[in-house]
Amino acid sequence: MKSVITTVIGAADSSSRFPSASDMESVQGSIQRAAARLEAAEKLASNYDAVAQEAVDAVYSQYPNGATGRQPRKCATEGKEKCKRDFVHYLRLINYCLVTGGTGPLDELAINGQKEVYKALSIDAGTYVAGFSHIRSRGCAPRDMSAQALTAYNQLLDYVINSLG
Amino acid sequence: MLDAFSRAAVSADSSGSFIGGGELASLKAFIADGNKRLDAVNAISSNASCIVSDAVAGICCENTGLTAPNGGVYTNRKMAACLRDGEIVLRYVSYALLAGDASVLQDRCLNGLRETYAALGVPTGSAARAVAIMKAAASALITNTNSGAKKMALTSGDCASLSGEAASYFDMVVSAIS
Repeated sequence: MKSVITTVIGAADSSSRFPSASDMESVQGSIQRAAARLEAAEKLASNYDAVAQEAVDAVYSQYPNGATGRQPRKCATEGKEKCKRDFVHYLRLINYCLVTGGTGPLDELAINGQKEVYKALSIDAGTYVAGFSHIRSRGCAPRDMSAQALTAYNQLLDYVINSLG
Repeated sequence: MLDAFSRAAVSADSSGSFIGGGELASLKAFIADGNKRLDAVNAISSNASCIVSDAVAGICCENTGLTAPNGGVYTNRKMAACLRDGEIVLRYVSYALLAGDASVLQDRCLNGLRETYAALGVPTGSAARAVAIMKAAASALITNTNSGAKKMALTSGDCASLSGEAASYFDMVVSAIS
């Protein structure tokens, strides 16, 4: 799974050389920024449920009929639960991306094939955008996490929003 | 290929859980000791050819049959192959130490090595002994307790855990070939 360190090692390996001084500098740079990323990952891990719930509420206030746009029937609660499950799934992958320092987990486990799946299931990707945009506007430093950590977190939220657009 | 961070992501994903608490604590320790780790990798890569040639010379001294006709490193061609393999093993150990995870060593170096050596008739006892000598040399260089002029001018610190981690990668090589 792609991260700064594995990229550096892959490049060194393809030219059969030991890790060079510039490889070390790249790894050092990634390590320096890692503390903020891990802080964001930790805050997200302890609070993801509330974050996902806010996203679901934002989706349903903008799209009262849910992600498929069909009239709510007896399955309205079920729709909300599935919606929340999906947000938790994305937040978990954002948590992984914060830890690895790359977008590998989101790319490999969510974004590849995402559009095709939503199209096949007649799910409007705009509903997820509504939820993520809400979360994106809710994060606040230093109330939730430090400014640097919030930047890393928002960067990944933007990445997801752009992938859905 | 994984590193300490992506290893945490892969193992959390297998249970569908978030990465928090304990896993994050060990990653924070990885970050806190980041400079030590880079110095340790540098200690190995800067002295690579010295470590490898010492190890190969060592097995030849300990077992003079190796350089005799029909010995494991008889002919310069075999000796050159031995030195090359020593360097390859050391290089993958340095990658594993940089990544903080053995997957690169296992996937790209050790996978199938035993079968290859068996097919080529490499004496695995001698090969394992050479790896053990490299392990001792790497350990001394990482803790900066080596004798002689190759000491590095470093802020000294406790590198015992990194030296132990490097030793565990060398042990993996030994158990993969013998």
